[in-house]
Parts: sequence; C-alpha cells; structure tokens
Amino acid sequence: MRSDRARTVLTLVVSGTMLVTSACAVANSDAAGDAGSAGGGTLRVVLTQEPPTLEPCESSLTATGVVVRSNVTEPLVERDPTSGRLEPLLATGWRQTKPTTWTFGIRSGVTFQNGRPFTAKDAAFSIERAVNSDLACNVDGYVFGDEKIDVRAVSPTRLTVTTRKADPILPLRLSFIEIVPRTTSTGAKVRIPVGTGPYAVRKWETGVSISLARNETYWGKAPAYPRARYVWRSDASVRAAMIDKGEADIATALDPVDATKDSTVAYPNNETTALRLDGREAPLNDIRVRRAIGMAVDRTGIVDALLGGLAKPAAQLVPPGVVGHNDGLATAPYRVAAARALVGRAAADGVPVKRRITLVARNGQFAGIAEVAEALQYQMARIGLNVRIRMADTATHLQYQLRPLPRGVGPIALLIMHGNQAGDAAFTTSQYLLSDGPQSTFGTARLDRRIAAANALSGKARQKAFAEVLAYQNEKVAQYAYLAHMRGLLGLSPSVRYRPDSATGDEMRLAEVRPVKAGNH
Amino acid sequence: MASFLRKRIISSAIPLVFVVLGVFCLARLTGNPVDLYLPLSATPEQRAEFSAAHGFDDSVPVQLWDYLGNAARLDFGVSLRTGEPADAMVLEAFPVTLQLAGMTMLLAVLGALLVGSLAAYRPQSAVDRLAGLLSMTAASIPDFWFAIMGVLVFGVALDWLPTSGTLGGPEVWVLPLATLLIRPFGVLVQVVRGSMVGALSAPYVKVARSKGADATRVVFGHALRNAITPVLTVAGDLAVGLVNGAVVVETVFGWPGIGKLMIDSILQRDFAVLQAAVLLTAVTIFALNILVDVCHALIDPRVRQAVPA
Repeated sequence: MRSDRARTVLTLVVSGTMLVTSACAVANSDAAGDAGSAGGGTLRVVLTQEPPTLEPCESSLTATGVVVRSNVTEPLVERDPTSGRLEPLLATGWRQTKPTTWTFGIRSGVTFQNGRPFTAKDAAFSIERAVNSDLACNVDGYVFGDEKIDVRAVSPTRLTVTTRKADPILPLRLSFIEIVPRTTSTGAKVRIPVGTGPYAVRKWETGVSISLARNETYWGKAPAYPRARYVWRSDASVRAAMIDKGEADIATALDPVDATKDSTVAYPNNETTALRLDGREAPLNDIRVRRAIGMAVDRTGIVDALLGGLAKPAAQLVPPGVVGHNDGLATAPYRVAAARALVGRAAADGVPVKRRITLVARNGQFAGIAEVAEALQYQMARIGLNVRIRMADTATHLQYQLRPLPRGVGPIALLIMHGNQAGDAAFTTSQYLLSDGPQSTFGTARLDRRIAAANALSGKARQKAFAEVLAYQNEKVAQYAYLAHMRGLLGLSPSVRYRPDSATGDEMRLAEVRPVKAGNH
Repeated sequence: MASFLRKRIISSAIPLVFVVLGVFCLARLTGNPVDLYLPLSATPEQRAEFSAAHGFDDSVPVQLWDYLGNAARLDFGVSLRTGEPADAMVLEAFPVTLQLAGMTMLLAVLGALLVGSLAAYRPQSAVDRLAGLLSMTAASIPDFWFAIMGVLVFGVALDWLPTSGTLGGPEVWVLPLATLLIRPFGVLVQVVRGSMVGALSAPYVKVARSKGADATRVVFGHALRNAITPVLTVAGDLAVGLVNGAVVVETVFGWPGIGKLMIDSILQRDFAVLQAAVLLTAVTIFALNILVDVCHALIDPRVRQAVPA
C-alpha cells in the first residue's frame, strides 16, 4: 500500500514539475506570431489535416496542393477551373512546333521569393526535377506515368519540351508542374519551398500552423492580405465552430449538416464516388451481376438522405466540365425487381451469387461514408447478394485500390472517390479503365484500344472519342456502379469574400480572397 | 541497495521489451508503407527502390536487429512523412501531453477529494446524492461527445472560450482540460466517497469528535489522511493512462501531443516515429516505476529484503 502511495505521489510530483518547467510553453508557443484576426491583416484558414509535406513536386496531393499551388509556387500554365481553358502564367504562350515538340515562351521580369530571377532554365530544371529525377514525385506518376521527356532551355525566354510520342495535352500536363529555382535540391524533397507565387512560407510550426507572408516582389496583382495562416482540425464540427466564432475566415470540407448555414458555400469539387467491382472474381465476374448492382443502388435516396442533397447522381467517373464527359449518359435506372431478376438468371446459370462480397470503404473519405456503405450493403443484399462491410484506413484501402491487387481476398466491391482535377478524361481512363490501369481490376482489349485512340486526338474529336469510351465502359464492361458527383462545402467568415470553384479543394488561391468592406455584408 | 535496484530494473524491463517488440512487429503486419508514399502509378522498380532504401524489403527479424542496433546508438531513424528525425518529433510532442495529463490529475485529485469528502460526511444527504449523480455522469460521458459539446456550448453559443488551438492565454486550456478531466474526476469522486464513508465511521474519528474537533478537522485532518491511500492508488493508474489517453483531446482541439502523433504515425505507417513515441512513453513509465520502487525501498527496508533473488 505504501508503494502505491509513493508511486502516485511521485507521479503527481513529476507531472507538477513538468508543468512548472514548461509552463505555458504550448499555449504561448506562437504568441508573438500572427495569431491576429483577419482585421489585423492575417487570413486564417482551417484545413482538415496538416500537409504531409510542402514539397512542390508533391502538390498533386490534395493536402499539399491546397497550401502550395498558386500561393507559394506557380506553374507555367494554369487551367481555368470554370471554363476549362488553359491560361498562361509563368509562360507567355505555347505552340506545337513539331508533332512531338512543344515550345513555350517564358515570362521575363519574374523573381523567386529568394530574389533570384526566373528564366527558362528554372522551368527546365523544375520539369526535369519533377519528372525525370529519382525523387519519386507524386506529380510524375499522376500526370506523366512512365513517360520520360526531353526539356531544353533554348534561351532565357524560350523552352522546348519533347516527348517520345505526340502528346496533344502536354501543356495541360505541365500545369501540374510547380516551378522552383535551380538552387532547389534534386537529391531530397524540400521542407520549405521557394517559388514565384504571391506568398512565401514564413514558418511551419509542426503540428500547430503554417504561416505565409505576402511576397512583396510578386510579379502579378498583390494579394489583399499581408499574411495568411493555416491551422488544421480533423473534426468538421470544430472547423465549422471556428467560422461561427470568428476564429477562422475559411474552413474546408465541412459536413453537409452545415449546408443550411449562411456561412457555408457549396461547390462542385470534381470528385466522383462509385463502387469498383472486381470482375475477376465470382460472382462479380458476371456482367449481369455487375449491372444488377448498378440498378440496385438508390442514388437519389443516398444523396438526399446521407449526403445532405449536396451531390448529384452519377452515370460516369468524370464530372461535367471535364473533357470527355458524356452528357448523353443517364444514371442506371433504380429498379430493384429487375436487378433481382438479373441476379436470379445469373444464379440459374451457375454463378455463385451467394458467395460473400466484401464492400471495402475508407474511414473519413467523405462525410457520411459509413452510412453510405451500410446503405449500399442493404441495397445489394436486397437483390440477393451476400455482402459484408470492411471499413479500412487509408493505407489498407490503398492496398485494395492499387495494383498489385491483394490475392485471396475474394470478390471486392471497393467504394472509391476519384477526383479528376486535370480536366481531361485521359487522367481517369489511364488509371481506372485500362485493363492494366494502376487502379483498375480488369478491362477489355477493345476498351484499351479505344482509350489509346482517344489519347492521340485533340479538340472536339478528343471529346467525342472519350465520351464514347465512357459509354462503352458502361455498356460492355460495367466495372463501376456509380454513385454521385460530389460537392464540397466551404465555410466562409462574413468578413471575407471568396468564390470557390471546382479546383478549390486542391488549389485554394489566397490571392483571390478579399476582405469585405464595412457595410457590405 | 544496488542488488535491489538491479533486480527491480531487470523485472521492470521485461514488459518494456515486450511492448517495444510487440509494437515493432504489429506495425509491420499492417503492410509496407510504399503505397502511401509513392505515386499511384509508381513502377515496380521505384517501389522496390523505396522499400530497399528504408529497409522494408528485409525480413522482420533483420529489420528488428537493425532497429535495435540503431536505437542503441540513439538513432531512431527519420520520419517517412516529414523527413525529420523521429526522436526530435517525439521529444517535441511529449511535453504537450505531459502538461495536459499532469494538470488534469492535479485538478482531478484535488476536486475529487473535496467533493467526495463532502458527500461522505453526510451519506444519503442531498449533497451526497448530487455528488453521486454528477460523478456517475462524469465517469460515463464519452470524451469525444463532451469535447464537441464543449466547443459548441462554451466556444460558440456562450462565446466564453476559444473553440480549439494552443495559441493564447490560460483560456485555451479550459476545454481540453475539462474534457480530459471529467472521467478521472468522476471515478475519483466515487473512490473518495467510498473510502471516506468507511473512515468517518472508524473509532478514531468518533474519538476525535468526542474531543470536540470541528467538522473540517475531522474530515481533512483525521479521516482523509487514512482514507487517501486507495484514492492515490487509483489516481496513479489514471495518471499513467492519461499520458497515452489524450488522443481525443489532442485530435479535437488541435494540440500537437504524443497521442495525436502516434495516431498519425499509425495511419501514415510512419514506423520510425511510432516506435520512437512508444519507446519514449514506455521508458517514461518504466523510469517512473523504478523511481517509486527505489523511494519505497529507501523508506521501508523490508521491501528491499522482500525482493526475491
């Protein structure tokens, strides 16, 4: 008993000592920083998570891109998320000078945040670093695949990019390459990036906040706020509360339950949810069963009841506004009896429809995902299928999502959310529809040929060809039971003016945020 | 004394070794983190290179041997997420949790002694019933629910406190402390009350009362001193649990402590940070236990003699 008492007393003494020695070390860790209000010149943004890195070549990661892209660093070319058109940024223009070569004019008079002038050599360096180096940048895999390209700075204001095969959307691909100075490390990813953007990273206090300061030598229009500060709260209700209380000016990814508030704005975020059906395993290897699942899903009910009415039932993996989107595709009809009959016919032909299907979903991928998974399980069971749910964390979900796919796990219906931020269906089809696509379970040789043919086209012919690819996928392959084109929900303080667009979730341009003048609320 | 110390260290180190080995092996059962850190379409060669660079292509025993060898040189590796040394990240986060846990236990013990003693002084009175209701409620409330309701009520509706974060004055401590405090407080009030009811009916208390001692002296001067041992025992267990139990508070309120760091490390398969965090926590508890045992042995020689060879 004495030992217990001594143990506890010592615990308390040690705890008390720690408190005294580190008194208020946490609470005042940034007391001299920019914790001020928006009125004090600091734009305060609350994110869902701390960025894993601020490395510019990882900016295709949502959590990184939302801070870095177009705030700290800039690309040569940017895609207008509303019109879909490519606009010059650090490039002044571009043209295809040979079938496999594009030539870019490079903007002069631009300096990096470290004072170095920006030239075509920096652009060439940045592309080489992101695409041809051993850094294993995410942007390389997402945008360029295994493609190696030849980049040359012909003069300080002229750059040529040559590919092995003709690439009609090379400028679009380059819109994902953030430009960094030639002094940037090629052997390791950087922690604090330097770019040409309107803000420079001032301080990254791990676990607490990231502070930006206005780049006073910025070549474009100066942003309204001299400082910006990112914090992160994983709970959506806390993010919403920070807006309500005036502790933050912008909050990302709020829950649909907050959609009725005046302080929230919904916007299309180019994300599409669907069930990916593994067609290699019975009973999902029977197209009747896959089609039946598509017909069993009550999309409207799920959207209204579980997604707050914010989403829109989907009939394909790419949302409107993306090159290749097929306006003519209708959502699969919600017909339970017909779906049950299809499953019955498959069973009569010997398909083991009672074999257990595992519906894998990722915790926290979107608000209400657990309830959506349960609804899908019920709707699939109602047509005679045997379904169990497995909720997984990100790493486990990726094991199901990416090749090499796990073996010996039976038939898998994977709940995915795919975001096509590039604006071209090529980025979807190469990943999700090709027979050997990194995120595809199966396909057909004919579909592969159609995708390859569409990739070589441009303009209206490209749009038409990819629209036909998506229709063919639904009609002949049916690897996906689509759910909805999602919408994001942004919290906005009454003191700021900002119009989110389909790129906001991946690239929140702080320079577009303006303070609301008194009386303009 | 040296012999006693050696034996205690050896016996206490066994659980520590099991914890470290267990976390090391269990973490690797969750799979190779390559999918989280490489592009979606990374080639097999790139995946193999990543695995080799971080030693994930070796067998688990080989990885464990390397880890132990490096740890002996105080090299705990670097974070896959940030590239920073794992030990630096852990040492930065640990004081945050210690502050929270330490402050929580001080307040919980002091509050429980006061409320529990008042309840026990007149059993079945209104105060006793109210304290019983409050303590049962406090011990039963889920902490994540309490945290969110605290944010909505005291942060937004009443506008008394900040919703979250670590920047500012003492007010930033209130909601995190209250959330962390509520369950230990509820448990301790019940323990104090039960212990004090027995103590207050003991003969020595009746003697004290018969000698004219006032209520305060009877309760805090006589009964509490004898009733406190089980309270402190339970408080000790709760205190150790709080070091690792602050995950919800740190997650909801955005406090960069060890619990949040461990959760993030698990989700991101950041093995080096996870192992360093577990090791530091385990060593802290190990050292605490050794110090307690040494103190006890210094006070009571029978303890030294009782330790088997």
